[in-house]
Amino acid sequence: MKQRALWSVAVAATLALAGCGSATGNAPSSEAASGKLVVWDWKSSDKTATAYVEKAKADFAKKHPGVAVEFVAQPFDQYYTLLGAAIQAGKGPDVMMFNGGGQLRDRVDALVPLDQYVSSDKQRLTGWDAFTKDGKAFASPVTLQGHPIYFNKDLYKKAGLDPQRPATTWSGFTADCAAIAKATKATCFALGNKEGAGIQFFLSAFGSGILSPREYDDWIAGRRDWSSAHVKQIFQLWKDVEDRGLNSKGGNSTTMFTDAFGIFQSGKATNIIGLMSDIGHWKDFNEFLGPDNVGVMKSPVVNEGTTPSLPFDGGIGYGVAKWTKDPALAADLVRSLTSTEALTAFYTNAGAVVSDTTVKAAEPAVTALVADLKNGKPALHVALSSKTIELMGRLSQQILDGSVTVDAALKQLGESDRS
Amino acid sequence: MPLGDFTPLSARPALAGRAEGAATASRRRRQTAGLSAERLSPFVLIAPAVLVIVLFRLWPLLLGVNFSFTGDGERNGAAVGLDNYAELFADPLFLGALRNVGWLVLLLPVAVAIPGTLATFIYLRVPGHRFYRSVYFFPAVLSPVIVGSIFNLLLSFDGPVNTLLEVVGLGPVDWLGDSDVAIFTVLGVHIWATFGMALVVFLSGFATLDPALLDAARSDGATLPQVIRHVIIPGLSRTIQFVFVTTMIGMLTSMFGLIYVMTSGGPGGSTYLPEYYIWIQQGQMNRPAFASAASTVLFLVMLVVGLAQVSFLRRTGKED
Repeated sequence: MKQRALWSVAVAATLALAGCGSATGNAPSSEAASGKLVVWDWKSSDKTATAYVEKAKADFAKKHPGVAVEFVAQPFDQYYTLLGAAIQAGKGPDVMMFNGGGQLRDRVDALVPLDQYVSSDKQRLTGWDAFTKDGKAFASPVTLQGHPIYFNKDLYKKAGLDPQRPATTWSGFTADCAAIAKATKATCFALGNKEGAGIQFFLSAFGSGILSPREYDDWIAGRRDWSSAHVKQIFQLWKDVEDRGLNSKGGNSTTMFTDAFGIFQSGKATNIIGLMSDIGHWKDFNEFLGPDNVGVMKSPVVNEGTTPSLPFDGGIGYGVAKWTKDPALAADLVRSLTSTEALTAFYTNAGAVVSDTTVKAAEPAVTALVADLKNGKPALHVALSSKTIELMGRLSQQILDGSVTVDAALKQLGESDRS
Repeated sequence: MPLGDFTPLSARPALAGRAEGAATASRRRRQTAGLSAERLSPFVLIAPAVLVIVLFRLWPLLLGVNFSFTGDGERNGAAVGLDNYAELFADPLFLGALRNVGWLVLLLPVAVAIPGTLATFIYLRVPGHRFYRSVYFFPAVLSPVIVGSIFNLLLSFDGPVNTLLEVVGLGPVDWLGDSDVAIFTVLGVHIWATFGMALVVFLSGFATLDPALLDAARSDGATLPQVIRHVIIPGLSRTIQFVFVTTMIGMLTSMFGLIYVMTSGGPGGSTYLPEYYIWIQQGQMNRPAFASAASTVLFLVMLVVGLAQVSFLRRTGKED
């Protein structure tokens, strides 16, 4: 036994001394040169995205008839794990789908800056910030992702409130919630925080009603003061909402997709902080509540002097891998994937609010959303790194169950954000 | 060729002829060649297996350990010494995951006692024992994802278990959302899902138990607890030890699916186990070298468990 232990120590020590060389391969690997481009995403297998993919393929085929395009749809919950393995191996798809924000910014080392290839799309498309790092765009936005507050107009009517004029202040908003709860037993919010995503939505949805415009802009620019009174107020509000019974019960064990949305859709909660890309959004809710009963609002004013705005960024987008043989060709495919025709099909079939400002919206809720885009600002949580977001998710659960104080959580978040 | 046929040179007649000498030399060569072939053949026979083990097991393992001494992100590929390990043991989340491993070990007797007790009842032929045997084993064939989904529904805050608790006057429990409760909930479900296999092992152990001993105990007027304590437990000691070791390894290595489906490591990281931590670091945080360091630590934990297992079984063998 002793001998074995000694051997183990000897091997580990040798490796510790020799520790060098990553698993990252150096040799580029791509099929572009052989007339084929491979795309990884998690959307192309959805029926609602079929028309979008076909339009994009057709657009690319017109420009490059000799190049085949293969879409490989990965399961979303495994996507970044598989992508991480591909990046480490230095082999993989030529074009890759990304969520905007930390998921992209953490991986820009594996991507080609696209600015020189997509300059003519810069005006037509919006949401570039979420795909930009150090002034360079590493992916083109396909959808916009935002965090509007959806509400159930039917519950407002049942409580004798006017659904056309939801409250614009926090006190008015909670008073409406109390009236609805009394009349219908519906909670104020449907909360799903099992994955720790609930706090991201809360921070971004209510941030513009709490932070001053300057504090908001500073946050997005990376000058984040985690010890400021207003930042503390956001996290304190997160706790107070739970303590006052405004959330649906068991938020920490409720998945956001699809359980929390199910609570809202079944009329058990008045409001939900939803999305505006192609899931958990107005189109999903229309199916259950009816288009006339789906309302959408911005954050109520929590602090005087704030100007609530719609928080939104680029939602998903496509980037080009560093190892691709012909970056210009792959970038052309990205341009086809963000063409007006393809994005129109994505909006029509999936209901996603797309990045193309020339695509016209028709439904009432989405019309309201699109109207808010011009005054919208980037979402607060998208500015954070994946590491800080993950920590924030865990701490948010601990804040709710009382095992961590707001102050202690903010201290840890500040340290993570600075590191 | 038996080695006994070999005749020492010194035993030969001193006046042996040249022809005889040549024949002897030739025989010697054949014998020596045969001996070498005989000595080599075991190595040749095990060579393919050794190659497979070295190429597909040991070499990747060593690469992983080597990788754990390099950096991620901007330091990708650079040697960072023990930095990853220092960060790992400073991370409260990883320490929490190791603490949960401690809980697994502490709850091991429960995980062994349940199938042991039920197997005893089945062996003693309680009414409906065949039915129970099938029912107890059934969860063993279910995927952890299915098991997790079933219990997610049962244990959700407004699910049937809490409804039942409210009916009998007990308040609802947030089985999967309370950080003090969730790890025990997941462990309980894991035990439920896996004890069927241990039960089968126990039943096969019972098959080796001498029924005459039971009959003798009964003739002497032993009660059921006395039969279990003085006949069944000593008779099944090796089976019990085996189930202990295999259940422990199962708990350490196969709870990822349940955690992923039931709690996602939450709430507040309270249900993290090293496997889940490794997956998050590699897949979500994009830190493969750091994840390799965590894997190496998990491997060492497993090594300790494995060596303890070998020593445990060896001692048991000596007792026999």
